[in-house]
Amino acid sequence: MKRSRAGRLVLEIAMILLSLLFLYPLFLAVNNSLKSFGEVMTDVIALPKQLAFENYSYVWSFINYPQLFWNNTVITGLGLIGIILFSSIAAYKLARTKSRMSLLLYFLCIMPMLIPFQSIMLTVLQLAKGLQLSDSTWGLGMLYWGFGAPLAVFIYHGFVKGIPKEIDESATIDGASGFRLFFMVIFPLLKSVTTTIIIIDVMWIWNDFLLPLLMVNGSPDTKTLTLAAYTFVGQYTSDWQYAMTAMVMAVLPSIIVFIFLQKYIVKGVVAGAVKG
Amino acid sequence: MLKLGRKWSEKLEFGIFTLPVLICIAVAFYIPFAMTIRYSLTKWNGISKDPAFIGLDNFKQIFMGDPNFSSSAWFTIKYAVLYIVLVNVLAILLALVLDMKLRTTTWLRAAFFVPYILSLVIVGFIWKFIFMQGFESLGASTGWGIFGWSWLGEPGLAFVSVLLVSIWQSIGFYLVIYIAGLQSVPDDLKEAATVDGAGPIRRFFSVTLPLLAPSITISVFMALTNSIKVFDVILSLTGGGPGGTTYSIAYDIYRDTFQNNLYGYGTAKALILFVAVLIITVIQLTIFKRREVEA
Repeated sequence: MKRSRAGRLVLEIAMILLSLLFLYPLFLAVNNSLKSFGEVMTDVIALPKQLAFENYSYVWSFINYPQLFWNNTVITGLGLIGIILFSSIAAYKLARTKSRMSLLLYFLCIMPMLIPFQSIMLTVLQLAKGLQLSDSTWGLGMLYWGFGAPLAVFIYHGFVKGIPKEIDESATIDGASGFRLFFMVIFPLLKSVTTTIIIIDVMWIWNDFLLPLLMVNGSPDTKTLTLAAYTFVGQYTSDWQYAMTAMVMAVLPSIIVFIFLQKYIVKGVVAGAVKG
Repeated sequence: MLKLGRKWSEKLEFGIFTLPVLICIAVAFYIPFAMTIRYSLTKWNGISKDPAFIGLDNFKQIFMGDPNFSSSAWFTIKYAVLYIVLVNVLAILLALVLDMKLRTTTWLRAAFFVPYILSLVIVGFIWKFIFMQGFESLGASTGWGIFGWSWLGEPGLAFVSVLLVSIWQSIGFYLVIYIAGLQSVPDDLKEAATVDGAGPIRRFFSVTLPLLAPSITISVFMALTNSIKVFDVILSLTGGGPGGTTYSIAYDIYRDTFQNNLYGYGTAKALILFVAVLIITVIQLTIFKRREVEA
């Protein structure tokens, strides 16, 4: 039954070649971000004769990269904190309380997973304007609390059900109750699901496009990385070298994080999909 | 008296713990959803002060004579079916190879996963560059005709391009789900089938595939929900072109609401999308439930 060694080796080499071919578009993006305009136009696949790092300094200051990076961080960080905090505590209470009310509220929490964002995008924008949440990174971050909650509540709820009730009871006897019981005893036990939720939500919020486009695209001070790259390409339709530089700069943070946390990210994505 | 006090404090705690998330969800979903239903019954361009109530006229118009809606619906259906089938078949095939414990499995899995962590809009732009500029150079150096085709300029090919780029971006996600699924198939089951004289193909169809059923359910579900809402990649790759042939439903709604300022009409379409998603999900969940009972 064992395949011959040679056969395996051929398969292995074929797969490596396939994966390199698969990543070739990304290589071409990086390659051309380091070329001058003339070189991009004459030959896309050739390596740069001279590394044009000035593309990077030009785009860096043109789109104000540090500001964009900070905006992304604020939106993602703020969104994440709210999702984790509010969803975990609510899911815990809903899972522990056995009543019709509790079940109803749980369904109210998870039902929105069925609502496609495009169905409500216009009215979300209008409501956000009314609540003074639009045109601000903080406002956008806070909106994600609601958008991320249904999945988070669903995952936390499923997990809390598996934690024995005796833990709550013994903590109560020791004098912990309410918030203290939750944050000192329960929340640490949720660590593995919290990691899963952090991973899928960071990937989602960091890269999200449509909601930021509607909410914070008005001013360069509130744009996200993806939005800036999108606008930038619109302005520089034929300057492909700058466009590719902007693309590479927009995706670089994700790729660096992925290289270091690959194992956890893959695990988190699988866990999120299986539980979701 | 004491008992009553405890009951009240329990209720109070229940409220304090659950209220924040309920408010957030109401703001993000329920209030906008109610507003969507209201707007869908009106004619409004967003500038005039009050939306004019017109009953179900928007829906009538959408179903009776809106070529944009029918062509984008048709595009979305074609896209969704092909996407679901292709991405799952390809991911299963790749997962089978990666499950053979090659020395480079970790690298391969990471390589196929990378595009999934990137923003779809940016992926669309990178591919636009490849289709428009890269293929020219590749054609010149290889001499192959396919690089000379107009991948974004010809309707049929533009559809294929959107499909290809979507699959390229997301196949890693399905791949890791299938790898996880395959790892839960016990080796002795496969060995037992081999001892019983089953060849590799027979073994795949009668042992591996049935045991992969949970992974397939998840993947098809995810592929369906994602493909029916396809938007970002089209926006940056083709912009709906050539000649409006690659508009999806989601894009059509976006175009009507934000580019044509048809607020009432656009939200009516948005509501139809919601109902379609709801029906499909309910059907899928029933099939899923039934299969679970059988298992």
